[in-house]
Formats: sequence, structure tokens, C-alpha cells
Amino acid sequence: MQQVRDIVVVGGGTAGWMAAAAFAKVFGTQAHSITLVESEEIGTVGVGEATIPPIMQYNAILGIDEDEFVRETNATFKLGIDFIDWRKPGSSYFHPFGLFGANIKGGVGFMNYWLRWVQSGGDPDFRRFIAEGEAARENRFARIPASPDGQLPRLNYAYQFDAATYAAYLRRYAERRGAVRREGKVVDVEQNSETGYIEAVKLADGTRVAGDFFIDCSGFRALLIEGVFKAGFDDWSHWLPNNRAAAVPCERVEDPSPFTRSTARESGWQWRIPLQHRTGNGYVFCDSYLSEDEASQLLLQRLDGKPMADPKILRFTAGKRRLGWVKNCLAVGLSSGFLEPLESTSIHLIQVAIMKLLEFFPMREVNPVLIDMYNREMDQLYDHVRDFIIAHYKVTDRDDTPYWRYCRNMTVPDSLAAKLELFRERGEARMLPGDLFSETSWFAVLYGQGLIPRSYHPIANALSEDELQLALARIGTAIRRRVDSLPSHADFIESCCSARSAATAA
Amino acid sequence: MTRRIEQVVIVGADAPAWMAAAAFQRSVSNAGIRVRVIELPTLLQPADAYSALPELAGFHRRVGLEERLLFSLCKAVPIAGQRFSNWSGAAPPFIHGYDRSPPPAAGLGFTQLWTKGRQKGLRTEFENFSLGAMAAKAGRVPATEPGAELHATFGYNLDARAYSALLKHFSTSGGVESKAATIGDVEIEGDRITAIILGDGERVEADLFVDASGPQAVLIGRMAGAEFESWREWLPCDRMLAVSAKALKPLPAFSQISAFRQGWIGLYPLQDRTAVVAAYDSRQISDENMLTDLPALANLPIGGEAIVSGLAQGIRRQTWVGNCVAVGESAFTLEPLDAVQLHIAHYCISQLMTLFPVEAGSFPEAELYDRIIRRAAINLRDFQFAHYKLNRRFDMPLWDGCRDAAPPETLQRKLDVFAARGRIPLYDDETFQEQGWESLFIGHGFMPQSYDPRVDAVPEQEHIALIQARLNDIVGLVEAMPPVDNFIAEADPYRQVETTAPRVGVN
Repeated sequence: MQQVRDIVVVGGGTAGWMAAAAFAKVFGTQAHSITLVESEEIGTVGVGEATIPPIMQYNAILGIDEDEFVRETNATFKLGIDFIDWRKPGSSYFHPFGLFGANIKGGVGFMNYWLRWVQSGGDPDFRRFIAEGEAARENRFARIPASPDGQLPRLNYAYQFDAATYAAYLRRYAERRGAVRREGKVVDVEQNSETGYIEAVKLADGTRVAGDFFIDCSGFRALLIEGVFKAGFDDWSHWLPNNRAAAVPCERVEDPSPFTRSTARESGWQWRIPLQHRTGNGYVFCDSYLSEDEASQLLLQRLDGKPMADPKILRFTAGKRRLGWVKNCLAVGLSSGFLEPLESTSIHLIQVAIMKLLEFFPMREVNPVLIDMYNREMDQLYDHVRDFIIAHYKVTDRDDTPYWRYCRNMTVPDSLAAKLELFRERGEARMLPGDLFSETSWFAVLYGQGLIPRSYHPIANALSEDELQLALARIGTAIRRRVDSLPSHADFIESCCSARSAATAA
Repeated sequence: MTRRIEQVVIVGADAPAWMAAAAFQRSVSNAGIRVRVIELPTLLQPADAYSALPELAGFHRRVGLEERLLFSLCKAVPIAGQRFSNWSGAAPPFIHGYDRSPPPAAGLGFTQLWTKGRQKGLRTEFENFSLGAMAAKAGRVPATEPGAELHATFGYNLDARAYSALLKHFSTSGGVESKAATIGDVEIEGDRITAIILGDGERVEADLFVDASGPQAVLIGRMAGAEFESWREWLPCDRMLAVSAKALKPLPAFSQISAFRQGWIGLYPLQDRTAVVAAYDSRQISDENMLTDLPALANLPIGGEAIVSGLAQGIRRQTWVGNCVAVGESAFTLEPLDAVQLHIAHYCISQLMTLFPVEAGSFPEAELYDRIIRRAAINLRDFQFAHYKLNRRFDMPLWDGCRDAAPPETLQRKLDVFAARGRIPLYDDETFQEQGWESLFIGHGFMPQSYDPRVDAVPEQEHIALIQARLNDIVGLVEAMPPVDNFIAEADPYRQVETTAPRVGVN
């Protein structure tokens, strides 16, 4: 059995450089070669500017210094997403990272107790019981560890950054560790006539880049996985009709908020991602309801700062590659599928593909069992994220435009329908193995979108009223104290990871 | 040498002292006996409230105090029952309503019918058959006719300082002499007090000294043979915290007594505020932590100054020694639970009136008084301890300890008989009658295992009809009762007659 020695990444951008950097770190370049082929002629799609907390795991694998990383990518910290006008115009809710409340000893999930409390007249603003939610409301942030008594976990966060600088940062990281970048466009692929394995890619200048394992990071083109292996594509646009995004950065007009904002619009939604130096904006929409020009115009009208470029249009179709791994080729990033960035999952899906590949890393002759395991697990994750995103559209009171009427009335996947029904009945949103979004996330979004559970877990009634009141008061107070101790987000960045002050110092 | 009693001195403060004064003034004063009050500094704080049983109305009638004054001057709220929550963990709360025992149904106590019904699948809670409890639940005042088949009464929550001031005004305007003083010394010869020396040096002699000084027991506490016997073994709370919270709107017709990990919290609605009392065990929680937890436990924002004081439950070995008789909490103390606080004074004073000594030389009444007071005290103590004994709060030291504690024999007999057949063996000098005990036991989840065999003689249809009729009657009666706020507005004609109503200094 021969080991994989030469790894070839086809395509740069976020996916390519995340893959190359991880391989360079984990395998090293003494016994392996890591080659990334990219062409400056081909642009990259940079919609994934906001991330979710698991990115910490990726950063930890790389061992990168957080302050340096934040400085170099002009990043800000992210405690969650503020959803405006989603349930109905004028409404809002916050989907926070972090835990809802805290564990109640010997009991069921906190959410059940909270529901009981609300049903007996408590304040329905669930954010009071989520440190990240309260901190975001007050634009505060700091890194704080778990409380000594173990009652409260560390403050959970992710980053909002400039995807182009992130790719550049990872490129420097990978190249320092011996990964090799080849400039050029792939024009041909050599396959083994017997096994069908890819043996090499040929570049426009005639260079032949041979390898044992190929990572397809060629974006929507899916050069290898589709171009060579015809892996197939599951089109999900009947559930997720958005197929366009107009994106434009604008000048920063205030201190950056430690959260992403997502505002529901007439035929889609608009993102607002504050970075240290500018604000990223975009209008994700469906071109059956709104033209690209109209969307661009509406986006420009709805910026809070001066636009810094003309809106760029991105075109996509929601869906998933039927097989993400075929023979010695793995699709990572947009080549493996696309889900709109409503819950900032794009970079996460890249990361999971890389981490799973590392977990299942094959020999030169790939055991098909590994491929099956990988594909099954990725399918599960994709379906899970898809369902979570669909829920934002399905569960809403909005019926003010044809777009929203379509979303509200569409049939959803059975897996989601069952989930919604259980939540409606008793607030149940259990996290299954392999799921990404926790009970808290489902709760925040479904409750925020207006799905109010009729009941809750019966065991929540076993706690006496006084113990419930006391537990909630203690948790609320601990969270309040925690939040009160935090500096402002802007001050925190200034204190350790400001790109501006680094530039001034240099 | 014997002679008739000529002089009585009451030593004490606040409502108990003035209740005694009012009672004596309306009776023995008329017989030529001189009644004086040595008024000690008040023990009351602005946050304090008295929670009174319906029996207090009888006292007011006897002394001639108009009820409307309670509503106009003492921020009184009529209280149809006490609601107990969290004593059995997550079981729903129950209300101990102030019912007068209802007529038997089919010649049997209603509890017997209910017990069998429950065993046959009836799911209607016991309290639904209590007129007082249902009135309390509905926020209505059971002002029913005493002659009616079903009859319930109400007690009061009173602002403690205002009520004390009202009684003082009432007594002194009726001719009771009083002097504000402190006790310097007490001259005792044998088992007799010959005189008390006041703080200013004045020497006060009397034939009978009435100690209404509350737990301080300034007189009886000095008498040989009147040592304090503690009941902490059964009543574990030794600290009390009193504070005020905002008034509840609309006003409920019950006080709420909620257990928590280290004790219980009482919410006593008054017209202009809610008096909040926490009774707790200092071995389980500190005063500071109690104050921190209180707003969450009371589920109310707490305002004003919180006053912490000690609690010591127990009884004097003798409550009448020589010419010194203890009335109220100088005789015995309980937890401020079940609205017994004023009742203790009321009960002692009533007994003393009945047994008012004839001669100044010998007091054959003392032994009888003491026996009655002791029995009444034990019955009340058992009633309070039953709350603790029957708790279903597990894995909490205070509550586990109370559940495991061996009850006094007197209570054990009640529990045994009730468990066997749903009957309460009443003793002499009971404050709470069968229905009170039944609602207490059943409310805490202590159910009769069986019932009177004669219930089986009632045909099923008739049985069901009797139960249904009781439910319907109660619903109808409750609907006709006035809500608390309306009742107070009607009971308080103060504004209309402002110029003629007596002005009473509240502070």
C-alpha cells in the first residue's frame, strides 16, 4: 500500500488556500508535496466574509496567533447574527453563538424551563439569558474564559473578515511551510486509463502537474469533480430560490458591531458585515422576482456608508454535488455545492471537508469505504445546513411580496417538516450527531421567526416554582455580570488587534 | 388575707398590648378595676404586617371596634385563605380557605364522599369543594350569610403599625391609662411580682401583671418556673426578614406562602403595598444570601429597608406564674405562618377574660389557664409542623430533616386516623377545625387511604349528584361575591365621612 505523497490543489481562493495551509501544517512538506494551481485570470468568489465559531478549530490546527490573524485580515469579532424584518416587517431577533442559559442540574435543556417561565408570564426576550446576545446588543466584546464554577462557558465567537485578505494570509502561511503555488490555467486532465484516477493536470503553458490526490477548489466550474467525474448536482432552488447576489463594500460610518446583520428584503435579504476598515454589504435575491439592476440599485440606496465600488453580481444555484469525493479527487468549497451565506456556513463547509479528509486520509489507492463514509457524512451536514436555512424562509409571517408568499407556502424537506412539527408541539430541537446547529440556534431562529412552541418537556415541570425562579435569576445575574465586565468591541480591537494601529506602527 | 383584684397592669407594646387593654377596658374596667398600660418601645418596623384569622372579627365585635376602620386606616385587605405553593416541589399550589364546616352530605362528611370519588377516578381537586378556597382563587371576598348551608369567612392583612395605633387610640380614648416607659427592674417575692420599676424610676404596683411584651417576655421571663421550652426540633426557621414590595393589582384574596430551599416566603397583600416575609434557617442560608435571593423567590421587586430578626418557637413552661400572666407571644411563639400571630394574643386574652381572677391573693385560675394555653399552643404548633412534615421537597437538608423528623404524638395521631379513614380527631382548644386540617393534609398530598364504610351505602348516581351539586353551589356562590377591590371600596366610607371619622395617628 503506497502512501499519498503529492497533493495537488486546483484553484486558489478561500477554499484552495485553506486546504493548502492545512495540509502544509498537518503533513508538512518534507515527505509530501503540496502544490496549488491557480490563475490570476480567474476571479474568486468572496461571499464568505462572516464565519461561525468552529473556525477556531481550523485556526487551532494551523496554530495561528489570533491577534495577528485578526490584524492581517482586518477582522472583527462576531457574536451572532441580528435578523431584522424576518418574521414580519418591524420585527427582529438575534441568533447568538453560545449557550442559552445554563444547565439546570438534574433537569432537561434550559429552553424548556425558559418556556415554562414565559408561559407563566416571564419576559419573552430570550437574549437576556445568552451572554453573547446581550454583549452584542451593547456592542461589547472580549475573550473571556469559562467561569471558574463551570456554570458559564467561554464567550463564544467567530470572525468577520475580508475573504481576499484571508486567502492571502493563508497563502503566506502555506508558502512559508513549503507549499508551492503554480500560476496557470488548467486546460487538461490526465487520467489513468485503467483506474480512472487523475494522474496530472496540464496547464495552459504546457506544464504538467502530477499528483496522488487532487483537491478540486475550482469553484462553480467544478473542473475535476464535475468536469472529469460527472459527479452530478442536486438542485435545491425550489427550496432556496435565491440565485443572485449583488455585493458592494461601503465606508465604515461607526464602530464595527460584533455581529452580522441580515435584513429581510422584498425579494431576498441584505447582509451587513462590519470589518475594521469597511463594511461588507450584499443583497441576496432571486432573479425571478427582482432584476440584477433593481437589486443593485436597492442595495446602493440601503447602505449606511458611501459605496467603495460598483456592485458586483454573483450568480449561483443552491444545491449540492451528488458526490463530493470520487476516486482520488475531493471537491472543497463551491465545487462541492452552494448554500447562501445566510448563516455564514460557506467557510465552515470548506473547513469540514478539509478536516474530514484529514480524518479519512486515504492511501494512494483509495478504499471506497472511506469515500462512502465521507460522502454520507457530508450529505448529512449539507442537508442539515440546508434545512436550517430553509427554516428562515418557511417560518415567517411575511406575505407582503410574491417572493415571501412563495417561501411561506413552499413544501419543505420531510426532515425539516418533522423538525418544525416537534418544535411547534414541545420546543424540541435536539442536536443529532453530526449536526452543526445546536438546540440554541434552532431555538433562536424558530422562536425568532415566530414558531412559538405550544408546550415543553414535561420534566421541566418537576422543578418547583421557587427553584425555577432562583435558577433563572442566578443565571440572568451571572450573565449580566459577565456582560457588564466587557469592554466595547471597538476598544477591545484597539487594545490588541487593530489593523490600523499595526499599519501605523509599521 | 384575700381581697378582690383592684389593679391590673399590662406591660407590652403594639397590637397585643392594646388588644389586651381594649378587652379589659370594655369588661373589667366597668367593674371598677383599674387598667393601666406600661407601653414599651415598639417592636414594629414600617415593613411589618399582621396577618389575622377570621376570628379577629369576633374580637372587634366584642370590644366594639368598627371593621370599616381597618379598611380606611390600616390598609386592610380581606383574606379568604392562605395559598401554599412549592411545599410539595412542583405540585400545584393549594389554598387553605376559611370555611365554616359545611353540612354533612348524605349524613357523612364531604371528605368521605370525595375520598371515595377520588379512588373511583374523580380528578377534581379537594380545594374546589371549599368555598373559601374558591373565593380566594377568584379574588373574591366570601361575605356569605352565617346561616347559609355553605359558609366561609375571611381574615385580614393589616399594616402592623397602623393597626397597633388604631387599637391604642381605641383603648386610650375609652379610658385606659397608659405610660410609655421601659422596664428598669422587676421586684419579685416568691412567685409574686410586687412591683415593676420603670426606666424613669417610677414604681408600679398591681394585683395582676399581664405580660404582653411578645417574645421579649419582660415579666414572665423572670419568673421561676416559666423557662422557655424550644420547639425548634419541629419548627426549624430561626430568622425572619421583613420587607415591602409594590401592591398587587388587582388585589388577591389570599396570602401566598411559598416554600423554598431554606425556608418559606410569605406575600401579604395590603392596599398600598405587599408585605414580604421570609422565614428561614440560619444553618442553611445567611442573611445576606437571603436578601440576594429574595426578589427572585418572591418574584417581585423589593423596595425599602429589609429588617432581619430572630425567631424562636416554643412555649413557657408555665404561662401564668403567681400574679404574672403571659398573653400572646410572651406565652408561646410560633412561626408567622397560618396567620396565627395576632391570634395567639387574641386567644390568650379571651381565655384570660373568661378566667379573670377574682381574688388578688390566690390564683386558682392559673393552672387551668396554663393547661388551655398549652393545649391550644400545641395544636397550633402541630398545624404548623404538619406543613413541614408533609413536604415533598427532596434533597434539601431543611426539608429532608423535617420530613424525617418524628412528629409529636398529638400530630401523629391525627395523621394516623386521617390516613386510615379521612377523619381528623380534634382535641380540646383547637383553633383550626376539621376542614382546616383536611385542606392542610390533602393540600400537602397526604391522602386518606380509605373512607367511612357507610359511603358505600350511597348509590353511585346519588354520590355523583352530591359531588356535582357541591361544585355547582360553590361556583354560584363565588360568582355572587364581590371582588376584593370592590369590597374594600364599599367597606371604606372614609372619604364620604372624612370630617366625622376619628382621626388616628398612624405613625
